[in-house]
Amino acid sequence: MTETEINWPAALRAPDSGEQAAAMRALRELLQHGLRIALNNRGDVSEAHLEDFAQESLLRVLDRLDQFQGRSKFTTWAQAIALNVAFTELRRKRWQDVSLDALLADGDGLAEPAMMADDVLGADEDRVRLVAVLRQAIENDLTPKQRAAILGELREMPFDQIVELLGTSRSAGYKMLHDARRALKQRLHEAGITGADIQNAFNR
Amino acid sequence: MNNKEQRLTRAQVGGIVKMLDLTTESEFDCGECLHYVSEFAEAQLATRPVGEVIAKVEQHLALCPECREEYEALRKILAAKIL
Repeated sequence: MTETEINWPAALRAPDSGEQAAAMRALRELLQHGLRIALNNRGDVSEAHLEDFAQESLLRVLDRLDQFQGRSKFTTWAQAIALNVAFTELRRKRWQDVSLDALLADGDGLAEPAMMADDVLGADEDRVRLVAVLRQAIENDLTPKQRAAILGELREMPFDQIVELLGTSRSAGYKMLHDARRALKQRLHEAGITGADIQNAFNR
Repeated sequence: MNNKEQRLTRAQVGGIVKMLDLTTESEFDCGECLHYVSEFAEAQLATRPVGEVIAKVEQHLALCPECREEYEALRKILAAKIL
């Protein structure tokens, strides 16, 4: 089946029909094929994983059918959901052993001078000043959880994992992180540090 | 975790300040990005201009490595022309 041959939302909604079963099967196979292409360079993903991801993705797509607005091809929309399902699970496995204590300790440590020592920064005066302002703002303006969230993000910890460890929801977690970034940016602004200063300090 | 392990690299410190530079008052979160990313990816592939709302996807992708990873995978699938 191709995009031009099938109205996916209608077929997937067809109640108790052969058309619905065929559409579900075709979509699951298409999503699995896409995931195989996207994840083919990873050694930790087997064909069995792809089958599980595709099945979970199909269920997620069916659950969100009402959210499809026709602004892209249906299959592109569904594949984006499938990738989110697969990557979320792969990241969860990678980070499952990290504790809240370790993350909070990292967050506290972010304000420590030793975390941003001269050998990390080099001798550049603008960069040292920028980081001094940043360090002070991290210490004075952020909560421990905000510090932990920022550091977790920097270390490429999955956002889902961060919010799970911090015991908050995705939306509340994103707001917490956004508020933290805005507070730090405001401090840099008050110190007269511009976006161009930031670019210059870390691009040379 | 000992102090040496906690220590940030220069790239990570640079990451903080660049992240702040990209921060705006109004941003998409990951859920909103996922909602619009398929439209953004198709527009990018076709080199079509995007509207103001969809442009927020690009801004979120610059800030969020996870959503960017998923977007790049979607681009890879679109390039394979199976959809």
